[in-house]
Amino acid sequence: MFRSLRNTDCEQVAVNINGNLFQVPAGSSVWAALALAKDTITRMAPVSEQPRSAYCAMGVCFECLVEIDGQPNRQACLTQVSAGMHIVKQNIVQSSQAEVAMYQPLCEGNSKGKTHD
Amino acid sequence: MTNSMQALSEHAVTSFDIAIIGAGPAGMMAAITASATGAKIVVLNDKPSVGGQIYRNVDRSPLVDSSVLGKDYLAGADLVAQFNQCIDAENNNVQIFNNANVWHIGDDGELLFSYNGQSNSVQAKQVIVATGAMERPFPIPGWHLPGVMSAGSAQVMLKSDALVTDDAVFVGSGPLLYLIVAQYLRLGVTVKALIDTTPKTNYVNAMSKALNALAQPSMLIKGVGLLNEIRRSGTPVYRFVSELKITESAQKADSIQFICKGEQVTLNSDQFFLHQGVIPNLNATRALGIQHHWNQQQLCWQPTLDQWGCSDVEHISVAGDSSGIVGADGARLMGHVAALNCLSKLALVSQTERNNQAVDSLRQLALLNRFRTFIDRLYQPQAAHRIPRDEATVVCRCEEQNVQQLKYEFDRGAKGPNELKSMSRCGMGPCQGRMCGTTVSELLADWREEPVGDVGYYRLRSPMRLLSLVELSKFNTLSAPPPEVVQIHTGSQQ
Repeated sequence: MFRSLRNTDCEQVAVNINGNLFQVPAGSSVWAALALAKDTITRMAPVSEQPRSAYCAMGVCFECLVEIDGQPNRQACLTQVSAGMHIVKQNIVQSSQAEVAMYQPLCEGNSKGKTHD
Repeated sequence: MTNSMQALSEHAVTSFDIAIIGAGPAGMMAAITASATGAKIVVLNDKPSVGGQIYRNVDRSPLVDSSVLGKDYLAGADLVAQFNQCIDAENNNVQIFNNANVWHIGDDGELLFSYNGQSNSVQAKQVIVATGAMERPFPIPGWHLPGVMSAGSAQVMLKSDALVTDDAVFVGSGPLLYLIVAQYLRLGVTVKALIDTTPKTNYVNAMSKALNALAQPSMLIKGVGLLNEIRRSGTPVYRFVSELKITESAQKADSIQFICKGEQVTLNSDQFFLHQGVIPNLNATRALGIQHHWNQQQLCWQPTLDQWGCSDVEHISVAGDSSGIVGADGARLMGHVAALNCLSKLALVSQTERNNQAVDSLRQLALLNRFRTFIDRLYQPQAAHRIPRDEATVVCRCEEQNVQQLKYEFDRGAKGPNELKSMSRCGMGPCQGRMCGTTVSELLADWREEPVGDVGYYRLRSPMRLLSLVELSKFNTLSAPPPEVVQIHTGSQQ
C-alpha cells in the first residue's frame, strides 16, 4: 500500500477516481493519485481481460492507460492531476463493442454527419 | 519559463539550429554548450520539468529532506540551475517545451510533437536525441501482475510524489536497485527483503576488469557502501538465487518463490520491485531508421555512432544513455561533445575550437567507459532472466503473448522479429515493443542459435507515441509546401 511522505500542508486538488472523490496534492501524477487512493488497477488486459496496473511509472510500459475526462488511452504516469479531473479504469478489451450511439450515420446528410469539431 | 508559455500556434512551423529531445543530463548539457554561441535551440522534454529520470524534481523535491536521496542526486541541482539560466537568458535563444511528446522525427529535420493536446511541427538543422534509458525488461513468471513494478518506478514515485510503500520485496541486481533500497531505509520505510540475483560467476568475470574499476575508486566505494548500508539495517538479503517466480492470488501478485542455497523460499508481499539494469531507450532512433548494433558487453541494442555521437544520418546525433549506457556523468559529457560537434557542422565554432573544447570531456568519457566495463560484467543480468524458459511467462505485455505462443509461431516460420510480430501481434500494442523488443531479439537468437546482431529488431515507425485521431485530424502541415512556396500563396493558407 502506497503512502505519501509529502508535507500535508501542500495545496490539494479534488479528483474523481472511479466515482469516488479524493483530495490529492496538486502537481501529482494521475498514477500517484491512484496509488494514494489505493485504487491501483489501471486497465483490463485486452485479451485475457485480467486486471493490470502500472509497471514502470515513467512512460515506457503503457500499462497505466486510463480514461481521463472521457478520453481513453491516457498514460496515468505522464499526466498531472487537475482539479475536477475524472479518472476511470480503462475497460476496453478485445470483446468490447463500440457504443453505436457515438456514431452518426454518414448517409443522413452532411450537417448531421459532421459531429467532430 | 516565459519561453514555454509562448506556445507555438496551431500548425506553426518554426526553424531552429538544433533540436534537443530530452532534458536529462545529456540534453541539458547539450543545450548549455550550444547556447553559448547564440545558436537557436529548442528542447523538447516529455516530462513536466527538466532533469530526466536521474535528476527528476531535484529543484522541487516533495520530500522534506531530499538529502536522503544521496549526493549524486543533489549534484544535479547545479546542472538544472545552469540550464534554467540559459532559458532565462536575455537573448532568448533557447526555448523549452515541457510535457512535449515527440512522435515523429523526419530525416529532413522536421520534428512533430504533441503539446497541450495539439500536434506541432518544428524544423531543425541538427537534432540531438537524448531520450535516456529505460529499465531492462525482467520477464519472469508473474511479472505482468498488478503489484509488480520496476525498481526505477519506486524511485520515480519517491522523487516526484514522495510516494513509498512498506514491506516491499526488491528483486534483481545493479546499483540502482541497491540505491532505492538504501533510500527507503534512510526514510524509515521497511523493506521486506532484497533478493540479489547477481550470479556468483559475475564476481569472477568482473575481477578481470578490476584494474579498470580502480581507475574510479570513488565509484567503487559508493557501490560497496550501499550494500553495507542495507546489510547493517538488518534487512534480509538473499543472494545467488534462481528459479524466480511471482505467484498470484485474487488476480494480484501475492508471493515470490525462489531457490536460495538449495532451498525453496517463499516470501509474501503485496508489492514487488524488479530491476536488472538499464538499456537505451531506442524508440526514437529506431523509428528514425539510423543504424543500430548489438552491444554484447551491455547486452542491448544501441545506435551506431562516431566519437561525437553522430549517426549515419548526418544531422542526427545521439547523446547520453540513449546512445548506450554511460551513466549520468557520462551523459553530461556526451551532451557537451555532441553539441560541440553540431555547432561545428553549423559553422558556429571551428573544427579546431571543437576539438580543443571537447578534449577534456572525451578524456573523462574514456575513463568512465573503462569503469563501465567492470560494472557491466559485475551486474550482467542472468540469461534465465532475459531469455525466459518457462512457457507461460509473458513476453509481450500489451498483446499478452507468452513464450509458448511465440515459440509456436517461430516453429511455423516466424524467424525474425518482424515476422513474429505479424504472426503473433507480439510488439504491436501501445508500448510499441519497448517492453518486449530486447527479449524477442534474444529469444529468437537463442532459438536460431545465431548471434543477436543477426536476428535484428522490430522495424519501428512514427508515430512514436499514442496519438488521438482527433489530434491527428487537426494537424495538417504534414504535406505542407516548403516555406518559400507558402509565402507566394499566403492568401490561400487557412
